[in-house]
Amino acid sequence: MKNRYGLLSSLTAIALFIVLETVAILMVVNGSVVQRYKVLGAVRSIESWFWARTSKLTYHLNYKTENERLAAENLQLRQQLAGYAAAQAQLDSVVRIIEPEYTYIGATVIRNSVDRQHNYLILDRGEKEGVEPGMGVVTARGVVGIVSAVSRHYAYVISLLNTEQSVSAKLAGSGAFGPMTWPGKDPGRAVLAEIPVHIEAAPGDTVLSSGFSTIYPPDIPLGRVIESKISQGSSQELSVALFEDFRSLHNVYIVRNNRGEEIQELYEKAR
Amino acid sequence: MKRPADIIYCFLLFLLQLVISDYVHLGPWITLCLLPLLILQIPRSRSPHVVMLIAFGLGLGLDILSDGVPGLNAFAAVLAAAPRKFFYRLLVNADRQDKTEVPLLRETGLLKYLKYLGVLTAIYLAAYTLVDCISVRPLGYIAAKFLISWVASTALCLLLALPIQNRS
Repeated sequence: MKNRYGLLSSLTAIALFIVLETVAILMVVNGSVVQRYKVLGAVRSIESWFWARTSKLTYHLNYKTENERLAAENLQLRQQLAGYAAAQAQLDSVVRIIEPEYTYIGATVIRNSVDRQHNYLILDRGEKEGVEPGMGVVTARGVVGIVSAVSRHYAYVISLLNTEQSVSAKLAGSGAFGPMTWPGKDPGRAVLAEIPVHIEAAPGDTVLSSGFSTIYPPDIPLGRVIESKISQGSSQELSVALFEDFRSLHNVYIVRNNRGEEIQELYEKAR
Repeated sequence: MKRPADIIYCFLLFLLQLVISDYVHLGPWITLCLLPLLILQIPRSRSPHVVMLIAFGLGLGLDILSDGVPGLNAFAAVLAAAPRKFFYRLLVNADRQDKTEVPLLRETGLLKYLKYLGVLTAIYLAAYTLVDCISVRPLGYIAAKFLISWVASTALCLLLALPIQNRS
């Protein structure tokens, strides 16, 4: 009787082990960030409140760096504005109302991870401010990630520092483009792949966003080429030093593509 | 884990693990895990079913609260918890004379305790690192990350095991 009970206990333990491990692996494979975010709404609200405060503290401690960065960005924007003012003067006889292709929502990073294989950020803007899943997140120094889920006041962003993310990028000079991914080691390095072998890519060349997706605007500077190597004999793989320092991210812009839906509809029709 | 002090100790360990996962940035080469030490704190009298369920709950809780990949820590924790009894008998207490509910350094000696803790941590980290990095990272990176994380985590767990050595 005792032996039979022992055997039964061992069998149920093995069955439980298999069930738990299967459930865990299924969660890893199908892990939906969106579901996780929604199911834990209450927990998230408390955590977000806490993160917002710790983020403020970190921000105050890094005021100098952040101010220098904002000053540089301001200067760049002023220069652009001066250029537009000159162009406007030449176009004063033409009156046209043009809806901009992209509009931006300013946001603050309240949570940021850089040490994992699947990094993420949480921003202090959500549904209330018009943020939707699928929107891109950028800074003046690069692409940050894609909004994956939103609550009323917060947005969960899958970082570019995620081994499953990629952004369409191009070389500033030649315009040759390919997917840029993060290999998972250094938060300051990415890899631009599928560049044809006949394209000359020298160290120091600038890499920009291509604008071929509906998520990110074109020509955002992303980084600088460090080295290139031939991959599988048919294309080049460029190692890129990112301009954006993901460890000190604070102010970002969420991008709304005002023509995104139209492009998506066209794409659906063509399919 | 019957006395309030033991429960508080385990709660603090879990809280520390959350803080490490969320706020301690040591780079992509190192993962610090305390769950193997928490698995050791589950009393020996508990059945393997209960041990695995607690380990699963701890792992999943950590995944959710630290925004990790859901299921990753849960998978590794169950894999480390399942053979706990086997390794205890093999490495620590071959004569099956259990004195305390939880293995203590002063009872087992440093070497046996370290072996036991080291094996559970190795199983945990091997599962964690493989599932996290497989197909996206080369094998050399996975092996290096595992080794560095194993040494660091075992040392940290050993250090954190010291405060409970005086309990009866």
